[in-house]
Amino acid sequence: MAEYELDCLGEACPIPLVKTENKLKELEIGDTLIVIIDHSCALKNVPEWARKHKHEVEVEEIGDGEYEIFIDKTA
Amino acid sequence: MSEEAVRVITEEPSDASSRRSAQTSSRRSSRRSTRRSVERKPKQDQTIYGLGVLAIVIAVGIYLAAAVSAVMGIFWVTGIAFGFILRRTNFCFTASMRDPIMTGSTSLTKAVLIAFAITSIGFVAIQYGSATAGLPVPGMGFVVPISFATAAGAFLFGIGMVLAGGCASGTLMRIGEGYGMQLLSIVFFVFGSFWAARDMGWWTLNFISNGPVIHLPAVFGWGGAIFVQLLIIGLLYIAADKWETRKQEQES
Repeated sequence: MAEYELDCLGEACPIPLVKTENKLKELEIGDTLIVIIDHSCALKNVPEWARKHKHEVEVEEIGDGEYEIFIDKTA
Repeated sequence: MSEEAVRVITEEPSDASSRRSAQTSSRRSSRRSTRRSVERKPKQDQTIYGLGVLAIVIAVGIYLAAAVSAVMGIFWVTGIAFGFILRRTNFCFTASMRDPIMTGSTSLTKAVLIAFAITSIGFVAIQYGSATAGLPVPGMGFVVPISFATAAGAFLFGIGMVLAGGCASGTLMRIGEGYGMQLLSIVFFVFGSFWAARDMGWWTLNFISNGPVIHLPAVFGWGGAIFVQLLIIGLLYIAADKWETRKQEQES
């Protein structure tokens, strides 16, 4: 149940999504990846992509326009 | 309207995850608060700024409509509404073309197609209204030749908007949002537009002026034109829907 952080602040869409996809491949099932983003587009496509791949996703706004996306790798 | 596309994503999302968050909320909230309580600034209540901005928007709108022209007032209101909707729905023309390839998601592609369908009906209504009243048909200045330049420009624009993280509207919207990187995008967007304007004569001479000019109502009649247009949009919508299902099956 390890936890990893992926800092994507200042990175435009679709970089956060590509990084998330690659990082998630390295993780074990049950691990959590926290993606930190501030590009509104990534706020849409990262959770959408992760949900489509049957991962558990939660989004939290940690500051004005900055978000943490919690992805529990389940598959 | 596609619910997927217009849903405000910042809200706590689907049923599955909210059920889950109920199960794990104790673990989560404790972990989150310890992890970030030190570095996290308390979120400031911005309601008062929002009301201030709204008041300024209304004041400028009244000024433009009264002192400049009614059309400027309408531009101001539609522009603000456009930006607000783009921001709140994460509507993005770039993603509508990019995500089908990159993630297999076509929710924004379908949203764009719906928007095209609605504007098509609006355009036909306005043009038909003018034509039957014997007035000059508005917007005919934008009926321009189709040529190789259209495809070449679309291809270059596509590369540019994916690299820059936004098309024109997306870039402007994110600047408004306070996203610094897009300030760089807009500078080079303007630079690129100047360059294009410089070369426009060459393109016009060699490609654009040779292309056919097609105004669908002239070919199919008014009813036929809107029918053909909506039919094509409908077929694209079905294709987009099938594409998403296929991509999902491939990956799982």
